Amino acid sequence: MYKLILKLAFDNAFLRLSRTMLVIIMIAVSMSMMLSIQGLYDGMTLSMIEKTKRSDSGEISIYAKGYRLSKTITNSIKNVSKIKKVLEAKPEIDALAIRIKADGLSATARKSSFSTMIGIDLKEEEHFGTFSEFLKEGEVTFSKRGVLLGSELAKTLKVKIGSKVIFSAQDSDGEINAMALKVRGIMQTSNISLDASAMYIDKKVLQEFLGIPKDAAMQIAIRTKSKTLENSLVAEYRTLEVKSFLSLYPIIKQMEDMMVIFNSITFFIVMLVVFIGIMGVMYVSILDRIREFGIMRSIGLSYKLIRLQIFLEALFLGLSGYIIGAILGYAALSYLKHVGLDLSAFADGMESYGMSKVIYGDIKLSYFTSTLLAIIGASLLSVLPPLRKIKTMNTIEVTKVET
Amino acid sequence: MIKIENVNKYFYKGEDRELHALKNINLSIEKGEYSIEKGEYSLLTGPSGCGKTTLLNVIGALDSFDSGKIYFEDRELGALSEDEKTTIRLNEIGFVFQAYNLVPVLNVEENIGFIMRLRGFPDSEIRERVKEVAAILEIDTKLRSLPSTLSGGQQQRVAVARAVAAKPKIILADEPTANLDSKNSKALMDMMRSLNVTENISIVFASHDKDVLESVDRVIKLNDGEIIES
Ligand SMILES: Nc1ncnc2c1ncn2[C@@H]1O[C@H](COP(=O)(O)OP(=O)(O)OP(=O)(O)O)[C@@H](O)[C@H]1O
Ligand SMILES: [Mg+2]
Repeated sequence: MYKLILKLAFDNAFLRLSRTMLVIIMIAVSMSMMLSIQGLYDGMTLSMIEKTKRSDSGEISIYAKGYRLSKTITNSIKNVSKIKKVLEAKPEIDALAIRIKADGLSATARKSSFSTMIGIDLKEEEHFGTFSEFLKEGEVTFSKRGVLLGSELAKTLKVKIGSKVIFSAQDSDGEINAMALKVRGIMQTSNISLDASAMYIDKKVLQEFLGIPKDAAMQIAIRTKSKTLENSLVAEYRTLEVKSFLSLYPIIKQMEDMMVIFNSITFFIVMLVVFIGIMGVMYVSILDRIREFGIMRSIGLSYKLIRLQIFLEALFLGLSGYIIGAILGYAALSYLKHVGLDLSAFADGMESYGMSKVIYGDIKLSYFTSTLLAIIGASLLSVLPPLRKIKTMNTIEVTKVET
Repeated sequence: MIKIENVNKYFYKGEDRELHALKNINLSIEKGEYSIEKGEYSLLTGPSGCGKTTLLNVIGALDSFDSGKIYFEDRELGALSEDEKTTIRLNEIGFVFQAYNLVPVLNVEENIGFIMRLRGFPDSEIRERVKEVAAILEIDTKLRSLPSTLSGGQQQRVAVARAVAAKPKIILADEPTANLDSKNSKALMDMMRSLNVTENISIVFASHDKDVLESVDRVIKLNDGEIIES
């Protein structure tokens, strides 16, 4: 008996092929577009998070208490080598970056800008966040008083590879010192503040320039997958400030929330398309076939089974759309994930807002499972109004033929 | 088996009664008329528009009525829900509609087997039975065709085959011979009679066909919604 209902539903769903194909394509296209947009949104957020972690904070960063309010040399972490040893012994920590930072002024003959000098160990940074991948121009090297500049800072100072830059800052004795440096590379991290102000030089050179002890540093950044590490470090280093990525970059948390809202809105719109599309087609199709339903009712097919048949028809439409939409969507997402969407042509300024020229999508299984559920739901809901027509029809009236 | 007491039916136009289609119909011993009994083989006849189809629809739990009572084997139809009436139609009644009422998306074989399938007969039995009735009614070469490709007479025979295939308790056949030639019409009436005799299925025809009139046990004459002779 259910075989018969299934056959009726299937035959009818594909009886009027052009009408059926139209809804299926409508569902498939809107769904694949939604998947692509979702993937891009998520990919964008994800890449921004990842780049920020790699270029600066890691999952957790440790500072001296007070440093983030007043970025002076005195507010530094003192016994760094001891802390480093302890941290390196923790298996849940994947990488460490220990940095020295000093705010100062960088200048060329014509331009000057506020900037932050960051003393780093290139090998350490490479392991921490594949630092060399941020290189936009030049080379990653500190040889011969070399300095690496953030991309926006380089623009502000109007410098090129090989240009000279003077950096001046206060040393530990309160004296203003200056050093001449040669631009070796231009770095683009997509981390807005770093790109606008960072100058990277060798950690030892900066240490000497500032006259601070070897065992001092401004930031210890940690990469880890552990969710519990932050709390244990907070307890372990009460005299220091242990900060998670999100508390250091609250704006990214906001962005993530925004993305969830964006995604929900697109999702809702697509479901509305599915709902209206199937409802329209089913409504017309049921009106077309009202005599047929009357016939089946009159020879003893119960309303429940007719409802089942209609539900199945709607599901066939919804699921066909889903399958094609999922295939298209997957193809689009794979493309976006591997090749990316190149926005450089019409979005030159995007980088300065922390976005890359080429944005890459993300693919999550949850995109497909949640749309599946939503399409099933929308399909079933969409036939409720047309079903009322069948429930309230008069079988004698609808089966009457005009002679 | 079926008792009808003082049944009246009107057709309405909006709120107003447009037509008094069945007037005080009685088919019940208590009312001095013979009821429709098990093994019945009778004919409702009368001029066009006298209410034959309407009466069959009312007896068959398909249409409502305005007053009176109809008992289908002790169940009072007026008191049953739509679902209960649907179940009775499915399991106990075989309809042959004047307008055939075949399911357009299903082929002849599926149409004939439709009711058996809904009632859950096993596939093999459905196939056997469909072949059997199709052969008697000479539509066995059309089993794979869709109803829309058949002639009126062929569709009519499919409609008959569908009604009889599941061997209901009662068959209500509205003009089953209207589009048939005398040979087919005779084959159909022979089949009906043999179902009536061997399976004890009650059959009520509505027809003005002479062939039918001559073969039935009892004639109920209607005129203008009233029984004038039974
Ligand atoms: N749905 C309806 N609405 C209004 N009047 C109707 C309706 N159905 C039938 N009638 C009227 O009821 C009367 C009886 O109709 P019915 O179809 O029962 O006649 P019949 O005896 O079957 O006629 P025929 O021999 O032509 O099939 C007719 O006058 C018809 O016009
Ligand atoms: Mg009639």
